[in-house]
Amino acid sequence: MAEKPIWEQIGAGFVQHYYQQFDSNRVLLADLYTEASCLTWEGLGFQGKNAIMEKLTNLPFQKIQHSITAQDHQPTPDSCVISMVVGQLKVDDDPVMGFHQLFLLKNIDNKWICSNDMFRLALHNFG
Amino acid sequence: MGDKPIWEQIGSSFVQHYYQLFDTDRTQLGAIYIDASCLTWEGQQFQGKAAIVEKLSSLPFQKIAHSITAQDHQPTPDSCILSMVVGQLKADDDPIMGFHQMFLLKNINDAWVCTNDMFRLALHNFG
Repeated sequence: MAEKPIWEQIGAGFVQHYYQQFDSNRVLLADLYTEASCLTWEGLGFQGKNAIMEKLTNLPFQKIQHSITAQDHQPTPDSCVISMVVGQLKVDDDPVMGFHQLFLLKNIDNKWICSNDMFRLALHNFG
Repeated sequence: MGDKPIWEQIGSSFVQHYYQLFDTDRTQLGAIYIDASCLTWEGQQFQGKAAIVEKLSSLPFQKIAHSITAQDHQPTPDSCILSMVVGQLKADDDPIMGFHQMFLLKNINDAWVCTNDMFRLALHNFG
């Protein structure tokens, strides 16, 4: 059976790592961002590792669990990897909610970091 | 009140144009893609303008209407624009369905083209 394309391996590896970290100890997500990273979280923009980490660590819940329904990965013309994730999440004792997230990954000094991150809850969709 | 950032103007203008074209005559979408463009449509990959337009033109419905719930835009480190769209669509007499789509836009010879496009129906999410 043929191997997955390299961008799919990189994207899927990143996605698995990201949600594992997010769900266990999201302070550790700092490693994935740089000063040039942008996050849009439910329509609000955050620029740079510090602002992003402040937003993520201050999200108002104790426990969170993500479950990925589908993920797609593509290579970009500038040798980046773009990953789109559809899934569900459960926060504390709240009902399960759908979400989607997008990551643009860039290789800097042999390490894949996240330069662009967009997150939205799927509050407006029928399913 | 300040102007929107340029990437938001370009992104939202592209998004508006894309869905307008899609809903009226999607065979015209060829102009926004190039030979290096990739589309992932519900998990299937299509490479290059011709394959993409063939896929979109042969989607099995007569009428379609997209409605955008939310859109986010960011500049990327390589001077591209990343756009994420959440919305709903109605094809023929089918029930309304949620969808999300992402576009990576690149400026080539003064025109913004779509190099990466990913579409998924929101069939798995609670709302």
